[in-house]
Amino acid sequence: MNSIIEVSNLEKKYGDINAVNGVSFSVEQGEVFGILGPNGAGKTTTVEIIEGLRKPNAGSIKVCNIDALKEPQRIKELIGVQLQATSLYDNIRVKEALDLFGSYYQKSLPSEQIMEEVSLTEKKHSQVSKLSGGQKQRLSVGLALVNDPEVIFLDEPTTGLDPQARHNIWSIVENLRERGKTVVMTTHYMEEAEQLCHRLAIIDRGKIIAMDTPDNLINKADLSTLIEFSISKELDGLAKNIPGICKVNNGSARKYSVQTKAVSMILKDLTNLCYDNHIELENISVRQATLEDVFLSMTGRKLRE
Amino acid sequence: MNMLIKQTRMQMRLFLRRKDELFWTMAFPVLFILLFGAIYGNSKWNGMTIRSIDYLLPGIIVMGAMVTGIMRTATGFVQEREQGIYRRLALTPLNRTTLIGSQLLQHYLVIIAQTLLLIAVGGLAFKTHLTGNTTLFWLTMSMGALCFMSIGFALTGMIKTLRSATPIIQITYFGLMFLGGIFFPNSLLPKWLGNAASILPSTQLGDALRAVVYNGAGIGDIWQKLAIMGAWIAACLVISIRFFRWE
Repeated sequence: MNSIIEVSNLEKKYGDINAVNGVSFSVEQGEVFGILGPNGAGKTTTVEIIEGLRKPNAGSIKVCNIDALKEPQRIKELIGVQLQATSLYDNIRVKEALDLFGSYYQKSLPSEQIMEEVSLTEKKHSQVSKLSGGQKQRLSVGLALVNDPEVIFLDEPTTGLDPQARHNIWSIVENLRERGKTVVMTTHYMEEAEQLCHRLAIIDRGKIIAMDTPDNLINKADLSTLIEFSISKELDGLAKNIPGICKVNNGSARKYSVQTKAVSMILKDLTNLCYDNHIELENISVRQATLEDVFLSMTGRKLRE
Repeated sequence: MNMLIKQTRMQMRLFLRRKDELFWTMAFPVLFILLFGAIYGNSKWNGMTIRSIDYLLPGIIVMGAMVTGIMRTATGFVQEREQGIYRRLALTPLNRTTLIGSQLLQHYLVIIAQTLLLIAVGGLAFKTHLTGNTTLFWLTMSMGALCFMSIGFALTGMIKTLRSATPIIQITYFGLMFLGGIFFPNSLLPKWLGNAASILPSTQLGDALRAVVYNGAGIGDIWQKLAIMGAWIAACLVISIRFFRWE
């Protein structure tokens, strides 16, 4: 195996809070590696430590076999970073920004090529302040690519974007993946992680709680099928008659979910129970488990709360 | 070196693109000289050998240098810091000395342009006539520009957000302007206040410039004034090292 990033026992404290609490992982050459978790889980802190923006309290990091904590200057040449917030001179033009950033590096790609890659060729003369949110984000990703980096870090690249803009970013990442680029991305969108990432680390409260391919995570969690429903009135004996039932805690009352492999049996028991007690089943849905459910089953919480 | 030039050129280009800021930076001092020149330009203050307008011109040059050196340095930096630009740049190999150097250089070039414009306007509108050692004039100006820019940078360390920037910068700027002998000589102030105000860099720069352009002063005549400005630069450097923040 050819690890391009090796992180071990990373720790970062803010006062009494362990924002990152013993995180270890490695990323292989050509891999799209996702770090998934809710807000405040420590995703951004973790990547910002690797990028050299923050100093850890403990741990070690190697990027391309270089000690990132000892030689941050060398690492900068090798990585490309898109930060969560767009942070650029507001009246710089697209092409100017790419050329300027390119000039900071020993090795850089022509801005024309980058604009092609992030579909901003038509906006080359537009100032940053005139770009839409999606275009700004694409420029931000483009700036991460100017030095043709060994590793590309994308920090929540689609947060706050509309679906169209999100898909544009996804196709850029898919393109990078096909070209064998190594990408480390954080996200709290499950679909994004499932679609883009070869491998995922699920992080919660500063710790990695699971790490595997998206498919394996779902299979291992052994959740198979999820039945969700609401009932019109409170019903005694629900928990006794339907094994594995959980109350969904998101404010609305009488909403339940069941994870099961015996779908038909559960449905039969559920409908009978409701029918006998003159209670109506509402908003019933039956679907395959997703990473969202994996997260829920591991932490007891939803990803976006 | 190459990087410094590239970065400076880009910052200059972005400055020239902000038309309103460009206009006010250049026009504000010009408006002042036209206004005050029209009000009391040809009169003479008690005990002065030169006309008021002759006194005013170097004063307004100092004012222009403060607009750029203090106000633009400080607000520009705080704004870009708040926008996260320095955080983003920290991820690139661009080193921070080059970044600061390019800002100093860009502001310095603007100060030179402002000064030349004011000299031209003064000559055309009021027949002001500057003589003396040109090299010493620009050396003095450079010292003043560097001094104001270091005040600007020192201020950024004390300013938390852009919202709180305006009052802090304005107080500094107006203090240096009204007590610094910009519009009238400090000899017109109460004696104790005039003495106290004589340690201000704006007072020293204005006096040094007037000595050079009207009295043919040499470096031996103004070295004390340059030294006081140097002391301000040193003090601001100490403050900057202590309080300066990139994020």
